[in-house]
Amino acid sequence: MAVAVAAIAWVPVGAHHASAPFYDGTKSVEADGVVTRFVFRNPHSFLYVDAEGDDGEMIAWEIEMGAAVMMSRRGWTPDTIKVGDRIKVVGQPSRAPGTFGMCCAELTQPGGDPIRPAN
Amino acid sequence: MLLTRTCFSALLAVAVAAPIFAQGPDAVPELSGVWDGGPRARPVNGPNMPWTSENFPVLNERGLAFQEVFDEAISPKYDCVPSTPPALVYDPYMMEVVQWPDRVLFRYEKDDQLRTIWLDGREPNPMDYSLQGVSVGHYEGNELHVTTTHFTFDVTGFDDYNGIPSSQLKKVTERYWREGNQLKLTLTVEDEMFLREPASFTTQWDPGAEGYKLQSYACDPEEARRPVKFLIPKYQ
Repeated sequence: MAVAVAAIAWVPVGAHHASAPFYDGTKSVEADGVVTRFVFRNPHSFLYVDAEGDDGEMIAWEIEMGAAVMMSRRGWTPDTIKVGDRIKVVGQPSRAPGTFGMCCAELTQPGGDPIRPAN
Repeated sequence: MLLTRTCFSALLAVAVAAPIFAQGPDAVPELSGVWDGGPRARPVNGPNMPWTSENFPVLNERGLAFQEVFDEAISPKYDCVPSTPPALVYDPYMMEVVQWPDRVLFRYEKDDQLRTIWLDGREPNPMDYSLQGVSVGHYEGNELHVTTTHFTFDVTGFDDYNGIPSSQLKKVTERYWREGNQLKLTLTVEDEMFLREPASFTTQWDPGAEGYKLQSYACDPEEARRPVKFLIPKYQ
């Protein structure tokens, strides 16, 4: 599951809290799956992705993103990512055992193109 | 009668067009506008910003003891409780300043907060405690000087990142001025309940984008608390 990361399009990260107590910046995880929810809110947005794990089990990832007020200034909207979209996410894993959180993630389409706001 | 009405209307128009400032218009710097406190203007806040190794507060025994037992999971921000100065002032969001003759309004996009700086010489009622405290100020030279006291106890009232609280003894002084197209601030915080000595930082804002209107923050408590489950619990 751990992969090397090449920076493509970093999702804006809000400044609501430090990432280090929640996520392990020394590790990287990858999820390739389908969007089930995109909650575009403050103080941070969350993207939910169902993806198959190494053992074939389905994992429900919760990917923390930036504050909606900050993301919207970069052109993001609640519709930038839609339920059912196929997506690849690479980011830092959450620290608490048994959780599947991720932050500081880069999002790409199946073809490898970065996901960006339309405008 | 018509003449009287005309004269009154003219006087009103003059009064609206040229607000009467207590100290005279020459002493009032132009601070109004929407200001960008995001990463374009200054480094984003964190455990080492704006409190660096150079200006990090010297805590007393009480402050050190509190910091040691502090658990990030109980930080009020995960329940959408707004931050207070100094943290509120350094959050990387937009801010709007409105200058009226008897007050200055600071509107923060973060947490939809409004601070009123009273310029009319009032003094806080001794029991007038609130989350954002009571702010009074005056213009001095080309600066706005603000003093805020009467804060309620705040579990993370010093900043958002280092587990340092603030008490009802917290006193925040701010000095705002213009430098080119930027808004500058030097902020000092005192709190003898937790700090051995005052701590301060200087920062700046860039002008906000033309026509930008502050958005509603409408903090969502469910989303605010969601990442807490990713922490390793401090107390099992």
